[in-house]
Amino acid sequence: MIFHKHQATVNDILSRYPVKRSAMLPLLNLAQKEEGYVSQAAIREIAGILDLTPPQVFETATFYTMLNLKPIGKFHVQVCRSLMCALVGADPLVDWLRKHLGIGLGQTTEDKMFTLSTVECLGSCGTGPMMQINDDYYERLTEDKVGRILKDLRETGDCSLKSGPFLVPERGEGVVSL
Amino acid sequence: MSNTSTMVTLTIDGIRTEVPEGTLVIEAARQVGIMVPHFCYHPKLEPDANCRMCLVEIEKIPKLQTSCSTRVAEGMVVRSSVPHVESARKSVLELLLGNHPLDCPVCDQGGRCDLQDFSHEYTPTVSRFKELKRVFPKQYLGPVIETQMNRCVSCMRCVRYCDEVMDAQALAAEGRGTITQITHWAGNELECDMCGGCIQICPVGAITSRLSMYDYRPWMLKRTETICSYCGDGCQITVQRKDDQLIEVNSALGAGRNNGDLCVRGYFGYHAAEHPDRVQQPLVRQADGSFAEVTWEEALDRVARQFTRIKATHGSDAIGGLITTRCTNEDLYLFQKFMRVVIGTNQIDSGARYGHINGVRALRRVQGTHRWTIRYEDLAQADAIMLVGTNVNESNPITALHVKQAVKRKGAQLVTLESLLPVRSTVSNITTLSKHHLEVKSGQFSAAILGLVKAVVESNLVQEDVAREAPEFVQTIRTNVAKVSWDAIREQSGLSQTDVETAARTYSQAERAVVLVGREVLRSLGGEGLVTNLMDLQILTGHLRRSGSGLGCLAEGSNDQGAVEMGAVAEYFPGPAGLHDEESQKTLTRTWGQAVPAGAPATLPEVLTRARTGDIKSLFIVGDNPVESLPGDAGVTEALDALEFLVCQDLFLTETAKRAHVVFPACSAMEKDGTFTNTEGHVQSVRQATEPLGESRPDWEMFSALSVLMDHPIEYNEVKEIFKEIRGVIPGYGLLGPASTPPKVDEKTVAQYVTSGFKEDVDQRYTLDASPAAPEGALTLRLVQSLYHSGKYSTRAKGLMEIEGEGRLHVNAREAGRLGIEEGQTVRLANDGGQATVSVKLNDRVPDAVAWFPEHFDEPVRALFSLKVDPHTHVPVWKTAHVTVTKWSSTNRSIEERSRV
Amino acid sequence: MDTQKQTTRLLDAVLFREIWKAMKVTFKHMFHRPMTFQYPREKRTIPDAHRGALGLLRYDNGQERCVGCDLCEAACPSRCIKVISEEDKSLPLQRYATEFYIDITKCVFCGYCVEACPVNALAMTKMYEYSTHDKRTLLFDKERLYEIGEQHLEDAKKYLYAHNQEHDDEESRAYRYHFPQPIEKTEASDS
Repeated sequence: MIFHKHQATVNDILSRYPVKRSAMLPLLNLAQKEEGYVSQAAIREIAGILDLTPPQVFETATFYTMLNLKPIGKFHVQVCRSLMCALVGADPLVDWLRKHLGIGLGQTTEDKMFTLSTVECLGSCGTGPMMQINDDYYERLTEDKVGRILKDLRETGDCSLKSGPFLVPERGEGVVSL
Repeated sequence: MSNTSTMVTLTIDGIRTEVPEGTLVIEAARQVGIMVPHFCYHPKLEPDANCRMCLVEIEKIPKLQTSCSTRVAEGMVVRSSVPHVESARKSVLELLLGNHPLDCPVCDQGGRCDLQDFSHEYTPTVSRFKELKRVFPKQYLGPVIETQMNRCVSCMRCVRYCDEVMDAQALAAEGRGTITQITHWAGNELECDMCGGCIQICPVGAITSRLSMYDYRPWMLKRTETICSYCGDGCQITVQRKDDQLIEVNSALGAGRNNGDLCVRGYFGYHAAEHPDRVQQPLVRQADGSFAEVTWEEALDRVARQFTRIKATHGSDAIGGLITTRCTNEDLYLFQKFMRVVIGTNQIDSGARYGHINGVRALRRVQGTHRWTIRYEDLAQADAIMLVGTNVNESNPITALHVKQAVKRKGAQLVTLESLLPVRSTVSNITTLSKHHLEVKSGQFSAAILGLVKAVVESNLVQEDVAREAPEFVQTIRTNVAKVSWDAIREQSGLSQTDVETAARTYSQAERAVVLVGREVLRSLGGEGLVTNLMDLQILTGHLRRSGSGLGCLAEGSNDQGAVEMGAVAEYFPGPAGLHDEESQKTLTRTWGQAVPAGAPATLPEVLTRARTGDIKSLFIVGDNPVESLPGDAGVTEALDALEFLVCQDLFLTETAKRAHVVFPACSAMEKDGTFTNTEGHVQSVRQATEPLGESRPDWEMFSALSVLMDHPIEYNEVKEIFKEIRGVIPGYGLLGPASTPPKVDEKTVAQYVTSGFKEDVDQRYTLDASPAAPEGALTLRLVQSLYHSGKYSTRAKGLMEIEGEGRLHVNAREAGRLGIEEGQTVRLANDGGQATVSVKLNDRVPDAVAWFPEHFDEPVRALFSLKVDPHTHVPVWKTAHVTVTKWSSTNRSIEERSRV
Repeated sequence: MDTQKQTTRLLDAVLFREIWKAMKVTFKHMFHRPMTFQYPREKRTIPDAHRGALGLLRYDNGQERCVGCDLCEAACPSRCIKVISEEDKSLPLQRYATEFYIDITKCVFCGYCVEACPVNALAMTKMYEYSTHDKRTLLFDKERLYEIGEQHLEDAKKYLYAHNQEHDDEESRAYRYHFPQPIEKTEASDS
């Protein structure tokens, strides 16, 4: 019963669309925000809300790489692997992270803290190499910097090196100019 | 295509043609004999244009167009075989083959594969792609379907079929890009209608059947077109065999009444006919009670001598006969002829007695025909469809497909009066498509139907003509329904006045409206009266005489309709004609060369009672199995044990056959020729697909042989001669081809009915009878039809048994929570009749306070039910009981066992 | 002219010239290598492309090449091949022949089956000596065919090379299909 306590939000989302089915992505996002990933229970529930079948919700969820279908760690490290970052050294960064965290791409550390994955361009090409951890951007990364970020996150759960968030305006105060 | 639509002229590859407006270019090309290659296009599906294979050049459009999604326009010039179209096709194929494994030699589709054919036609043998191919692990999608996604061309036909045609939405396209694959969802076991449609519609070998995997190559198969024997829909199937081994059953696009669609029983149920338990030799009971295999001569001789003896000493009416409706028309006709001419008795009945007879009697009474006045095509054109107690998706899956098409494609308004909750899941549920779903309390259809009539009468929905022409009829019904209050109706059926009124309004205001009536009405006490009430409803709203409108009773058995028409029921001669119909008596006397017997008829319950009392000394049971199709307290075993001589003719040694003195091995429907009459009234040819197993013979041959041995020869050289005789008795029988028109309502009968005929029992029909209240805390247990089975016969089919191999108690999650039980747990059901231990399955479409149990596996629970017989039509009614449910664990069992010791 | 003819005939008669002519051939053959040979003590060399008895082959690792695809059965003009195949339960997806029969009495040694085989599991060998007193043994079953293939492996390979079905190198083996496909995983669906 993931959506039970968000009944008002769900109703609000449903009221936005003339066709019920259109509310699928906001609901999937809501589920991911709630549990960290989209669980099978959530898929079933969304299907129930939208009068669809679970396979229909599932196929949509698998289409979007931003939706996790498996539980992830507390911090989702998403390194940009697109051209601009690659030119300034995204690959060594990924290798460093792999070695340092002891996990491969798409895997989670044993203490369930970090999940490492690579993503396409995050639109911060001027400040590469960069990565996004949960909703926060970390830019102009160096090995030292990444080491400190990981250490801070592991110990305090927060890091002062972040330069965001840019994607969730309701929490931050608009866009930070560079 | 109707003639009214405007025609459009276009040129395709230099051929000028005229097609109706709105036709797709690919269809127009097909009509002039040009096959445009395609993967994702299918006539049954909406155009998707994702495979890009059907590109054609259309003059004045700068780029190539997909012919599967482009509609024709006046003066269009289409070219499908110019070099740059071909090169476009080539590159599409090359891209598809870039990821397609070249495992054609081991692929079951190899030899009938679209990709293979087009590759041979359009591509060079060498690909420019040197990259590695994607690899998916093989998956089993449930017990009978497997997928090999390496072969998939992502045309999405299966996903679209599952959604658009089946309305099951059980398949998902997981992932994106080249790594898209077809799955159920998140690794869950496939749960769906298992119709096999995805296998049939796959253009490559990505989805295949596990039942025949790697057993054959397509070119080895011999094909026979015949009719499926599992339900009354009468689907045309193509039985494919390699030598004598049954390999596959499918159905071609456009075939029969089903247009190539099949249900799980048709697609995966074909193994029943070759089950090793088949009786293969005539059996005769020995002195010690065991059966001995004998020759046909000996078995037939013994039966003939016994019948002759009993007839001579006790008279003709000491012998009775029962026949199943899985027999062909010819078998049914000859059986009743044998009983009436050679034995000389009218004491015969068939499986139609279990419910279908209720519908036929009501139809004959009100509209004068015994058949539907509508066809499946009318369903597609209907503005409103009303389903009353059908559970149509389970009992008649292909009729359900026609209803789904009407709702989804043509926007028909669906009104459902059903006892099942409109919960959507990956198994399709007809009530989720419903505009007005009226959730009727289990078994309370009489109150619901009464409510509908009341709503029509009281909301001024009665058609003016009717009120003018038959004022007395309308007035009588008005006074009768006024006596019943809406509170009483709500109390009994659980329906509110407003709901019923909206549904009634939708129905009556529709121009063309079809009513389908199913087993929950037909198999209930007073079923004939309920159908008559629905006919009244049609008269009141003026739908009875309107073309494209009408009422249909869904037949469950493959030849229920035929059994009635062949006169294999107690109250009718072939035709069907009443036993006192002089004209029919004359025709039959002339055809049979002998007077028809004058003895009293006996219905199935009467036959059993007379057997128990000793009036009937001998029974001839053909395929029917009363021991297992009636509950324990019906006294069937006592009746059979009291007989002097029992002859059974069956495929298997059923509980009934085990009590017989002589058992004849019969052929299954796949092993004989003949005709079936489907629920719509279409007479369709059954053709022999396989050789009879062992010594088994078609049923009619046995009747014929017995008649010769009893000095009353009725001989035929082949089955067609019987059909010729049937045509002599029923003029024009079997002329109904696919394009024919259904029978019209008989105006005289209707006029007679509305002036005086209705008076006879109108007072009884429009009353609410006090239904026995369920004991406190008791659950209503209902034996229901499962989608995956049909009768007991399908439990011999290995494919169906893999899908559903045992009977489980279906309850919804709320009820389970209330009872404190979970999925898979064992519970004990008990009432006065007995007790049973069964395991639980959660099913959200079961209404509250109700539990379902599939009737095909009713063996353990049969003791809980008791038989009631309809006083008027003698239909046995017994599929509902009230039980208490308690949790049952292994400790309980051990305690009980210990106490027993 | 007449006298000259008569003289020649006279001389022929007197000098036994025709006998000498014949004897010349005889004497020539006295010093010639014999044309015939002493079968079964001596056997002739058989060319690689010779169409002898059929055998079934295995891969070098011992796996059966045959995938039970029935194409040989479809290609056979004398209908002497019968294949019954099934899924290999231990190797899902792998199809194999549970039974394989060649009625060699019906075989016309056309070699079409070898050409049809997508995996080069069938080959013709140089074996021709299988006469028997019991005709029933001439229905070769799967076991017998693999036995023939093993005994005459080299000949079978040479047959395939001679008919250009396969070459004596790794690459050519890859030209024909091999099941399951020797292809690598591209990318796993990482979410």
